[in-house]
Amino acid sequence: MRARITSLPGLPPLIACGALLALWEAAARIFAIDGLPPAHEALRQLPAILGDREALINILDSVRRMAIGCALALAVAVPIGLLMGRSRLVAAFFNPLLMTIYPVPKAALMPIVMLWLGIGDASKTLVIFLGVSLPLIYHSYQGARAVEEKMLWSAAAMGMSARRRLIRIVLPASLPQIFVGVRTGLVLALITMVTSEMIARQSGVGNILFNSLDMALYDTVYAMIVIIGLLGFVLDVAFERLRSWLVAWAEPVHQIAVGTT
Amino acid sequence: MTAHRTGELLVGLVPIVLLLALWQGITAAGMAPPSLLPAPMAVFLRLAEQLGNPTFLQHAGTTLLRLFAGFAIAVVVGVAVGVAAAGHRTIEALVRPVVRVLAPVPKIALYPALILILGFEHASKIALVAADAVFPILLATYQGASAVEPKLVWSARAAGTSARKALFTVVLPAALPSVLTGCRIGLVISCIVVFLAEMISSTNGLGHLLVYAARSFHTVDMFVPLIAISMLGLLLNAGFNALRARLLAGFSEEG
Repeated sequence: MRARITSLPGLPPLIACGALLALWEAAARIFAIDGLPPAHEALRQLPAILGDREALINILDSVRRMAIGCALALAVAVPIGLLMGRSRLVAAFFNPLLMTIYPVPKAALMPIVMLWLGIGDASKTLVIFLGVSLPLIYHSYQGARAVEEKMLWSAAAMGMSARRRLIRIVLPASLPQIFVGVRTGLVLALITMVTSEMIARQSGVGNILFNSLDMALYDTVYAMIVIIGLLGFVLDVAFERLRSWLVAWAEPVHQIAVGTT
Repeated sequence: MTAHRTGELLVGLVPIVLLLALWQGITAAGMAPPSLLPAPMAVFLRLAEQLGNPTFLQHAGTTLLRLFAGFAIAVVVGVAVGVAAAGHRTIEALVRPVVRVLAPVPKIALYPALILILGFEHASKIALVAADAVFPILLATYQGASAVEPKLVWSARAAGTSARKALFTVVLPAALPSVLTGCRIGLVISCIVVFLAEMISSTNGLGHLLVYAARSFHTVDMFVPLIAISMLGLLLNAGFNALRARLLAGFSEEG
């Protein structure tokens, strides 16, 4: 069922990119409205933005907040998820709480969090952390729950302590599921990052994006969209590489990993 | 068994009660001024009051309208393209790379473009919701439809069913569990995205209420729309699960 033309792995997406850009260019020429500049004009802004120190600092700010938020989420959410998967009590303890806060739009917490932590890094990082944590906990939980009991019994019979069993057996066995969670989390992190910067416009890509919208710099708006899109795509590809390297032994988990906000 | 279940339920209430108690404690002890953190009772009373307020309900209705319009578009497009890609080699070769490029793009970044093209009214928000919800539905449909036992389709075709009829009577029902999983994810996403879009630019809807309250420093009113949209998400999710259980009555439990 797989497409056969994937002998060059990078080629089809590249062609798709080209086709989308051509479509954009054509649409801009046909409709000829101010709000939709042709693709080439937006792309011409790219070197200007990427060469601008100010803009680069903004982009790095965003990436830094996202990295910190994700790292914190990994450190907190995965252990909770694994424990939930191995202990019914822990699962019963956390499940109703998580179910209640799952549908809360995390980026929408921003105005409230801003009241408490200000508009700086702390509130944005916290919101990203919250957004990434939930899918991570959920998928680690699912992964840990599905670990083969016999492996745990064998390890216990050979005298492995409970904590070591968690690290040496449950964690590796749940890795494929955890990666599904990380992927969902990454998408979420990007969304939350952009939205939080849009609400608290102090620095970051969301800040440039929406400020240029307000100033009617439409070329810059579209150039920023391309940059954020590229960021999302590059992260996704990098993540996919890492995943196939770390869990090459596992069946590829085909799950709908395009996340929830 | 039932005693066990209620026990687990009680354990699950502990963190929620603890959080509420902590919240109440902080406000009661005067550690946070009400302008930063209102008391939980104040928030819930305000919520109850607002649920009877026609203006508030109107805002909620606007949000729901945008949500369902966007979600409906996403379901139609996602299922159609997903099934087509699973059934046709050429379409798959076309769709796969485009999805590969577009799916990881944070759609919220497209919102300024949608505003510029479609305006500040319903259309841009509906388009954003559709853009965000379509990919999980598309991917789930594609995976579900690709996994349909080919023998089923062959048998139907051999028995004289037309290709179109086989699609509707064999492929779609067989892919239904997967499609519904995708739809559920899409629904939760829609719920969140519509709120964010309304926060960014809107003159009505629940998201606008939050931003409006934030601008006028009515902290209590900031919590109310947030709780309302979360409750809406929970309700829609529960409703969808009930629908799913009915539709999938004959299927074995899966994903």
